[in-house]
Amino acid sequence: MPELTVDSLHLRYGDNPILKGVALTLNRGEVVSLLGPSGSGKTTLLRAVAGLEAPHQGTIRIGDQTVFDGATGVDIPAEGRNLGLVFQSYALWPHKTVFDNVAYALRLRKVAPVEIRTRVEAALAQLSLDKLAARFPHQLSGGQQQRVALARALVYKPPVILLDEPLSNLDAKLREEARAWLRELIVTMQLSALCVTHDQGEALAISDRILLLNGGRIEQQGTPQQMYSDPATLFAADFMGSNNRLTGRIAEIRDGAALLEGDGWRLWGTARSGAAAGADGTGMIRLERIGIAAAPGDNRIAAMLLTSMYLGDKWEHLFALGNLRVRAHGGGPLPSGQHWLEIPRGDFWVF
Amino acid sequence: MTSAVNASHPAPPGFGGHPFARGLPRALTIALTAAAVLAPLSLILYQSLLSAPFFDARKTLGLDAYRFIFDDADFWKALVNSLLIASGMTLIAVPLGGALAFIMERTDLPGKRLIEPLILVPSFVSPMVLAFGYVVSAGPVGFYSVLATRLLGGIPWGLYSVPAMAVIAGLTHVPNVYIYASSALKNLGSDVEEAARIAGASPLQVAMSVSLPLIMPALLFSSVLVFFLGLELFGLPLVLGDPEGHLVLSTYLYELTNKLGTPSYHLMAAVAICIVAMTVPLVLLQRKLLQNTRKYATIRGKAGRVRELPLGRWKWPAIAVAGLFLLVTVVVPLSGIVLRAFVTNWGLGVSVIDALTLDNFRSVFEEPTHTRAIWNTVLLGTLGGAITVACYTAIGFATHRRNDGWSRIVDFLVLAPRAVPGLLIGLAFLWVFLFFPPLRPLRTTIFSMWLAYSVVWLAYGMRLISSSLMQVSPELEEAARTVGASRGRISREITLPLIRAGLLGSWLLVFMIFEREYSTGVYLLAPGTEVIGAELVSLWQGGAIDVVAALALINIVLVFAGLATAALRFGVRLRD
Repeated sequence: MPELTVDSLHLRYGDNPILKGVALTLNRGEVVSLLGPSGSGKTTLLRAVAGLEAPHQGTIRIGDQTVFDGATGVDIPAEGRNLGLVFQSYALWPHKTVFDNVAYALRLRKVAPVEIRTRVEAALAQLSLDKLAARFPHQLSGGQQQRVALARALVYKPPVILLDEPLSNLDAKLREEARAWLRELIVTMQLSALCVTHDQGEALAISDRILLLNGGRIEQQGTPQQMYSDPATLFAADFMGSNNRLTGRIAEIRDGAALLEGDGWRLWGTARSGAAAGADGTGMIRLERIGIAAAPGDNRIAAMLLTSMYLGDKWEHLFALGNLRVRAHGGGPLPSGQHWLEIPRGDFWVF
Repeated sequence: MTSAVNASHPAPPGFGGHPFARGLPRALTIALTAAAVLAPLSLILYQSLLSAPFFDARKTLGLDAYRFIFDDADFWKALVNSLLIASGMTLIAVPLGGALAFIMERTDLPGKRLIEPLILVPSFVSPMVLAFGYVVSAGPVGFYSVLATRLLGGIPWGLYSVPAMAVIAGLTHVPNVYIYASSALKNLGSDVEEAARIAGASPLQVAMSVSLPLIMPALLFSSVLVFFLGLELFGLPLVLGDPEGHLVLSTYLYELTNKLGTPSYHLMAAVAICIVAMTVPLVLLQRKLLQNTRKYATIRGKAGRVRELPLGRWKWPAIAVAGLFLLVTVVVPLSGIVLRAFVTNWGLGVSVIDALTLDNFRSVFEEPTHTRAIWNTVLLGTLGGAITVACYTAIGFATHRRNDGWSRIVDFLVLAPRAVPGLLIGLAFLWVFLFFPPLRPLRTTIFSMWLAYSVVWLAYGMRLISSSLMQVSPELEEAARTVGASRGRISREITLPLIRAGLLGSWLLVFMIFEREYSTGVYLLAPGTEVIGAELVSLWQGGAIDVVAALALINIVLVFAGLATAALRFGVRLRD
């Protein structure tokens, strides 16, 4: 049985619909990320699951218990849902020590003081916070605050833990370390987690499954690999990864392949949803899939090198193709002038 | 490449100028502020050290005045009463104000938007008017007392005892606590409360373990504030304490002249110094606590919408608390005044229908002193208020983004009058106008009233101005500096236009406090300087209840006209 089931959830602020029928399931030991641009409703969905927003239609079930049902009027308040939530701002109580922040939920559950002590100490030790128990939140660094927020959400062993942009308040370097550490913690503790993020790298790294939200609906869901290498729509393709967009006209469709024609160039790619012969089309290819060659060949186009940028582990080259700009990665610097860009047919999606 | 676009321009002219000329406006502002604040305050101190009024030829320096009042048993009784009332009202106002703030800010109480402005009503009505309202409503022959006598055969409450005064003062000062507690709650990110609910806390547990502890600095600050206001009380004990002869420090001072039959300025000054000796530490404490309150503000998370706490079965108790509060502090006194303004007389056995009349207003408008009082009060609030805001703004600019010794002196100058009740500042300005012969002709003009009002409300007004100034991001001014604007031009052309809306709001608030002010004018009242507030005090002393009722109603209408303009026309936030 799934730990969390959301079905056809609708929510609006006044007349402004935010969620337009969202459904998701979260299984035991699974990490699901809600990914999407700002305004897509991902945080609202998370807060609705927590009981902090009021949907007006649909159902939310935690395990076999219905916590929200728009039809029957069931709406268990947030404090009755027994979920763990890590806030983006951490929301640590500034007037309580680290120990008291973590112990509070156990005190509310009338756990015996001796057991509170052992459980809080265990939770703090697990997150390497044991030496900071007597500190107040403002005496901690950002990374430490984030771990306290996590300890506070985990200490009463909720069946599902909700993470609202858990890493967004950390600086870039710390974020990458915390990402690996968070994934390890989730796997070793076998947590079922629902995580909101706008950072696709973060979503790809820590999730078992990704739900891509767009305008209050789920655009596509799947494993990180599916989401990245087999996007169903132009929006999904464009949202993940760094991309080149080539706009033109679809001249021909044959055996699932589409021929896209632009100003002085023509390229074969795979035909995706919405592609029709004779219509305008958009071709999409990830930066790292473009090859740079010195001579013409199959599915190659000529382009002028405009400039090159050194990124440390690689180079990024900017080419001009008429009015279009194409970016490509390369291992080293290139001489200025004309080059040939190889566009592998399977990696070039025409929508 | 030598096009006109690329040509370099020298720094704009006028940036340099003579250093003295550039600092002149600031020096002048500071000097005038210092004169307006220090002249009356030092005169009080000087007068308290004399053995007779300062115009008396036989005066000698010494502590005789203090000796006299310390030997007077009434002084000690008044002191004890002041402390009792101040403590009692703090104990009532703080818990009630905190509870109301939580209910209004955080719960799903029905009709909140309607109730909230009503909670603030007592803070906009002159305390003198409120006290009068209680007398005509709930005094021995008040409207509700007569009703109670008919229904119950007696009045189950008394109005004129010291505990009753503490209760009424406590209830009417709930808005002072409410404003600070609710703005602290507004600043408190709701995420910390949501975190507690996720952890399993019920609404009551959230309030007790998270919200209230986090707004403790604001509650502590408002406790000190209410206690301080309790020591300053004048109108309420003047009206309610009189029938049974209960004095507090301010009414003791006021009655000294009656008691001794001669102008005893030296004794009044000594009492004033005793009051100030208690209020100065409280003002300094408030300042310290206010700084702490700011430090304690938590960083808000994502601007999520606050989902209100469902009250559930607590709904009816919450409605009862809010409703009872509004009934006792708003409905009872105000309905009494309205009714009293339209009846000839009132007592047991008088029928309301037979007594209905407009004569009270007729006698107000037939008497030139009263019409002049109304005109002066309006003039003082509108034109006077605008000039006052202009002066406050000048002082604000004298310290804006400058952290030097002069700024600290201005800070002190602004704070100093805060510790001195309006009654005393009015008295001190009377002495200033008598003491310095060149100023004497101004005493019987409305200017004297305006000056005293502006000094009394200096600290309050400066808080309004500086909060507007603080909202201007420093980068906007720095950007002007980097393109070559001088300080004066930045103030005039960048900062001033940006704070225009804030200044307009300040003007409206100053209008309202000038309309409701009453104690500052008590000693400055003279033919030519009549204002409604001071007239009410003097008429009340003379027993002219009919006229007091009509003038009190007119006063309320003036304040609420300002309030309505502020809220409807300009959308001014009525709280800081």
